[in-house]
Amino acid sequence: MSTLIQLILSGILVGSVYALMSIGLTLIFGVLRIVNFAHGEFLMIAMYGAWAFTHLFGLNPYIAAVAIVPAMFLFGAVVYWLVINPALDKPHLVVVFATMALSIFLQNAALMAMTADLRDIPPIFNRSIVIGSIHLKVELLLGFAITLLCTFALQWMIRKTYLGKAIRATVQDGEAAMLMGIPVPRIFLITFAGGSALVGLAACVMVPLFSVFPSVGLNFVLIAFVIVVLGGMGSIEGALIGGICVGVVQSLSSYYVAPAFGQMFFFILFLLVMIFRPNGLLGQQGAATIGMNE
Amino acid sequence: MRLVFRSCAFVASFLLALTFGAQAQEPIKIGVLLPFTGPLAKNGIENWEAMQIARDMINERGGVNGRKIEYVQGDATNPNAAISETERLITKDGVKITTGSFASPIAIAVSQAAERHGVFHWETTGAAEIITRRGFKYTFQVGAPARKYGQAAVDIVLDDLAKRLKKPAADVKLALLWENRAFGKSVGDGIRTYSQAKGIKLVYDEGYDQTATDMTPIVQKLKDVAPDVLIAISFPNDAILFQRKAKELDFNVAAFIGVSAGYSAPDLRDSIGDSVAGIFVADFPPKVNEGVLKPAVKEVAREFYKRYEAKLKRAPAGHAAAGFSAVWALFTEVLPKAKTYEPDELREIALKLDLPEGSLVNGSGIKFTNFDWPDDPKDAGQNLRASIGVWQWTKTGNEQVFPPELATHEPAMVPLPNWSNR
Amino acid sequence: MSAETIPSLSPRRMAWFPTRGRISWFEIALLLIACALVVSGMASSLQDVLLLSFLFGGLALAWNIAGGYAGLISFGHSAFFGVGAYASTILSTRYGITPWIGIWIGALIAAMFGAVLALICARLRGPFFILSTLAFAEVVRIGALNWSSLTGGAEGLSIMPAPSLIGMVFASKAAYAALMLFYLVAVFAITKGLEASRFGYYLFAIRDNEDAAGAAGVNPLLGRTAALALSAALTGIGGSLFAQYFLYLDPTYVISPELSFQFALLPAVGGLGTAIGPVLGSFLITPLSELLRSYLGSSAVGLHLVIYSFGLIVVMLYFPAGLAGALDKLTRRGRPR
Repeated sequence: MSTLIQLILSGILVGSVYALMSIGLTLIFGVLRIVNFAHGEFLMIAMYGAWAFTHLFGLNPYIAAVAIVPAMFLFGAVVYWLVINPALDKPHLVVVFATMALSIFLQNAALMAMTADLRDIPPIFNRSIVIGSIHLKVELLLGFAITLLCTFALQWMIRKTYLGKAIRATVQDGEAAMLMGIPVPRIFLITFAGGSALVGLAACVMVPLFSVFPSVGLNFVLIAFVIVVLGGMGSIEGALIGGICVGVVQSLSSYYVAPAFGQMFFFILFLLVMIFRPNGLLGQQGAATIGMNE
Repeated sequence: MRLVFRSCAFVASFLLALTFGAQAQEPIKIGVLLPFTGPLAKNGIENWEAMQIARDMINERGGVNGRKIEYVQGDATNPNAAISETERLITKDGVKITTGSFASPIAIAVSQAAERHGVFHWETTGAAEIITRRGFKYTFQVGAPARKYGQAAVDIVLDDLAKRLKKPAADVKLALLWENRAFGKSVGDGIRTYSQAKGIKLVYDEGYDQTATDMTPIVQKLKDVAPDVLIAISFPNDAILFQRKAKELDFNVAAFIGVSAGYSAPDLRDSIGDSVAGIFVADFPPKVNEGVLKPAVKEVAREFYKRYEAKLKRAPAGHAAAGFSAVWALFTEVLPKAKTYEPDELREIALKLDLPEGSLVNGSGIKFTNFDWPDDPKDAGQNLRASIGVWQWTKTGNEQVFPPELATHEPAMVPLPNWSNR
Repeated sequence: MSAETIPSLSPRRMAWFPTRGRISWFEIALLLIACALVVSGMASSLQDVLLLSFLFGGLALAWNIAGGYAGLISFGHSAFFGVGAYASTILSTRYGITPWIGIWIGALIAAMFGAVLALICARLRGPFFILSTLAFAEVVRIGALNWSSLTGGAEGLSIMPAPSLIGMVFASKAAYAALMLFYLVAVFAITKGLEASRFGYYLFAIRDNEDAAGAAGVNPLLGRTAALALSAALTGIGGSLFAQYFLYLDPTYVISPELSFQFALLPAVGGLGTAIGPVLGSFLITPLSELLRSYLGSSAVGLHLVIYSFGLIVVMLYFPAGLAGALDKLTRRGRPR
């Protein structure tokens, strides 16, 4: 019994960290209607940043967020300006391939700059929290808390602030929003940069948990795609639920079936959702079945 | 007249020098196939550094039969790039000898391409058993086959650790965890067969994918079966993830034996700190007890370690030392006996090699199979004298602990302290 | 954002590229050059690049049937490639069935996989379709990696490099180049036939407006399934040929996202939904990536991929209609439309 509880709790905690790294992707998708295939490399760069910050200044990686999040916002804005914006008025395949090429570019640029060495930071908390026979890692609990906070804050922002309302208007009908005086291109820019900034936050949470290396993004990007689709593309609380689902499914299937099949199960889960509930768990009606950018 | 004579002499000597020089300069080209990019790049580049040291050392000594060694690089990121790159080096650069390739899948691919062209492939570190079991004529696997890693890991449990744990060898609860790529699977298969033959039943035996991001289920399952000794075959990233998760879930074993890449990488200490101390590693020995080395080899070994440490600011990992050892053997034992440097001739020379243990820098000897090995008559080019030992991480560095003849130290920290005391 | 800046993906009347189903002088010339290159005794390292260009040209055309003509942008085609490669290799190494037959069995199995994928993704469009194909290929990859009794697992499968006609293993690269060229021409002919056929028009109709097509009596699901199955079968054949040339199958490469991306990239660079586009894409990208790797691979680690990917971004952003579109524009310049 305690094994089952441990597996589920660990699954939820890890899943929430996965969710945090996927929120940026889902936000960008929801507003710009594009899938950023370089998302994993954004995460990799931000993780290098958080690592470097911790490594050079001896600071806690959670404090590094103060620098990494704005830096990633800027980085996102530059990428938007150079790559995404020119691709937006072209067939949607163009942005798919452009971001994919960007992913290869960033990965190999990182390899040239940082070599393939694994980078790690020393553990922050030396002990897990132990309740009976259940062990919970403090970094994971913190990650969980940050994810919840971040989800609620974003929800609030989207519902209540002017920017949030503008974003929602853009999502509902871009042309109408433009006619109503909403600067749609600027909303796109802010969303893309903001989504990248969220990746920066996720990176600060992940650096104490995972090693950084140039191809680290590959290990996470497919998980992020699954989460985003599972939760319904563009849905923030959907990403949270999707992330937790993926974490728990991975955890349970690895234990009860075989670890080698852990990933296979969440891809199968993904395909099942696609067959029976193509809009994801909390997605917008019809999002999956309307053509995008067409 | 004198002037004419002088100028003639001058011209003649100049021409002589030119032709002689040209002859001396004609280098021996060797294709080096390693993963220089991609996820394996780190190990590939370490191997490359070690191989470059070997080239520099031999060239400083005048080369082989007066000919310098020249490397041509091929970037074998993945098996298919490996095949394309091998083809390129062979057909474009006219390479007749290839070496490399660090990882098993790449070794399988490179040797496949080399064999097709009848090119001599001198494999330094690739370990999967299948490398030498495809009936190939020109592939020589100088490093140890996967089976040997497993045997070393099981042998230290039976011959040494069981005693220290005060248990009869048959009662030791042994668990096996392997990553499911070519190397991990091959070593895992070897351990399963070998421990069965020794009458030990594995209490846990599972493979996992090296890109796994959550080790909780694995560690939890291991906790449930509570083994005395765990043998784990991992790559660096998953090794770190596993150790952190073991600490998080407070999973303790009396002895932990990691196999190769993941546990022998020097960055393991950077990642998990001093808790690395006490972990055993079955791998190519990074540095063996000098006593077993032949006197001439001892000198070479010292020089290699000195140069490597000067260049990379740290001691070489086992695979880098193995890479050096293998190409050095190629330069000093195979090539000098050649006249034509054609693959068929090199193959004959290689098959005649009969070097006792201690002939290579990392303590190996060389004796290749040639469709004459009782265990598998289809096997050719496997080095039966490649040494795999077990070394142990210590508080300050590492020490070779097994087998006793290679050892620089006794196994320590058995049983391994619990995480709360590490 | 005027309508003119958005390139139409449908095959248009082009100066060099004729109406659907016809063959232009440009294409015949290209074919003749290709044949000449095969028979001319060029250095075998160049032949290597040449035959890979043919093979990937054929694969790009196969992808284009689903991606370009039916609008089914798939990032899972390496699953079909892998299935074809594994089928013929397992049949020949384990059961002694010659690859000349095994290829067709592999194509059939790949077609079935394609049909299954089409049914799974029946209702999905846009990014949802793309990501589902990616997930589908991952499931196939993990399956192949772990079902080692059939696929040899991570150690992969090796074919003995002993030349034999029955075993479809050749000593000379020219033989392989001829084989790959034949594959390329065959897929090209099928594509051309498709363009002119009723089925082809169904596909264009489904791609351009599914609802209208449905109303006009075209069954979209049937059309999509058939297109994906055909595309998968042709990709499977390419997989078998690849196996016969490389003689080694590694599950982490033959079924991998990177390979799937490659299949989609070549038509995208060359020009989607045209018959000549994927061929041009392969003739440009395949030699380029091989050459970049061989010239820059050893000087600076990763530099060749940095340059390659940078070039790709530029091409995608400035020539979204691909090479075919760019060439078309060039040849039309100054002429009345």
